Amino acid sequence: MDGSALLNPGSAGSHGGARVACRSLTSGYGSTPVLKDISFSIDEPAVYVVLGPNGAGKTTLFRTMAGILKPMRGEVTIAGESIESQRSRDQMHYLSHMDGIPDGLEVKEALEFYAAVEGATSADVDRVLDLLDLRGLSGQFLSQLSAGQKKRVSVARIFLKERDIYLLDEPTANLDPKLAREIRALILELSKEKIVLYSSHNLFEAREIGRYVLAIRAGQLALFDRLESLRGVRFVVGVRVLAPTDALAAFTRQGDYYLRELHGPEEVPALIRDLEAKGVQIREVREMENPLEDLFT
Amino acid sequence: MYLAIGTGLSVFYAVVLGASATVFTTVFPLIAPILTTSGATGGMLVFTNDRLKGVLEYLIAYGVTPRRIFANVVLSSLVLATVVVAATMAGGVGVYLLLGHHLTTFLVLALTLYSVPMGYADVAFTVIIGMYWTSLSSPRTGMSSPLGLLPLVGVATPGLVLIAAVAVGSSEAVTIALGAVLLLVVIVLGLIRAVDRLMPRERFLSPA
Repeated sequence: MDGSALLNPGSAGSHGGARVACRSLTSGYGSTPVLKDISFSIDEPAVYVVLGPNGAGKTTLFRTMAGILKPMRGEVTIAGESIESQRSRDQMHYLSHMDGIPDGLEVKEALEFYAAVEGATSADVDRVLDLLDLRGLSGQFLSQLSAGQKKRVSVARIFLKERDIYLLDEPTANLDPKLAREIRALILELSKEKIVLYSSHNLFEAREIGRYVLAIRAGQLALFDRLESLRGVRFVVGVRVLAPTDALAAFTRQGDYYLRELHGPEEVPALIRDLEAKGVQIREVREMENPLEDLFT
Repeated sequence: MYLAIGTGLSVFYAVVLGASATVFTTVFPLIAPILTTSGATGGMLVFTNDRLKGVLEYLIAYGVTPRRIFANVVLSSLVLATVVVAATMAGGVGVYLLLGHHLTTFLVLALTLYSVPMGYADVAFTVIIGMYWTSLSSPRTGMSSPLGLLPLVGVATPGLVLIAAVAVGSSEAVTIALGAVLLLVVIVLGLIRAVDRLMPRERFLSPA
């Protein structure tokens, strides 16, 4: 795919004004390419979930877009300017899957270090301590924190200063469900005005937060589309009942569940009504497969 | 810890060598730079930890060049080395004076023109070699890691100068010593300047 035909399901035809664009991007480590000829552009504020199996190239994509890895071929641009320029870098936040926390600092000192690098103020540090509920940990050494608490400090820094583009590589890894939900809520709020690329192995999280999905498979862009358009591909629900009846004869059995493939969640109420009309006593109805799982195969 | 090591060793050598003012005056200035190389270990520890924890990756993403990172680590090591140099000189010379000897012009000149500059140059050289070595190698721990082997580089450099100075005799020893300091400074500056060209940025990523 060449640079003149950048994949952009958000606003087809407006590539000239793309905030972020990858053109014919080939990148990797040493002389071994991991990403191969990836092209897309993004200009609509939203969460773009980057999915793919381990080793597919998600982290390499983030590192290349953040200007850490130099592309072997192609380019990354922000508003038409190369990511190599400081002006482009200043428009982007990058959160690595590593904590990126220096040793020997207290929590507040670490945030002050980030603030100094990113041009934020001490008032921003105070605001973020409250935003991420870190006030109680501010005097603790980072070495004393749990993995989840370290991740919280690491995530906190992306809220120090507003930027236009956020590259977040597994931002909720190691977080407990409650905190992960709170951070997803913050990121969702952020995405109303900002472009957020967000990688995750949690498919249900991906569906909860994403508006678009970029699927990377074997270093290539396998899919870039609206998430909702995937939901019609395969939607399997499982029904758990008090007692099996003949009404379930057409269903496939999987453990305690009777499975039925539908076209989408909108057909679930009709299925429930139909089963209840046939005298089936339903205990539970749940989605058995996430359509995003297909992107990992 | 480095302060304690530097001071402890210098006091030890001062006591051992201090029995003879002549032996102390000629040998202590030559071994003092070896003692100060412990200052390099602190800078290297920070660099190695920052690489492993993804701090270097973070800094590069926000526009801090590897050249600036290398220069800052060298500068930090020199600041740390200042503590060790001061402790080494104060400890060694202090014991020498306590043993009833007097400062001679030769001793003062040897310490100020060779020991201190060579100590700083050796720390900078050790750190820059260590950073290149760490960046180019796969992570290893223990004594086979760059961090474990680095003190040997720090000791070997002034050690070689010492051997060369002894081999050529007193007439050329000053030239050898000052030339070695100058050469190390040139190598350090050259390697800092060249890092953006010589080292792919992926070398600063954590292998984790």
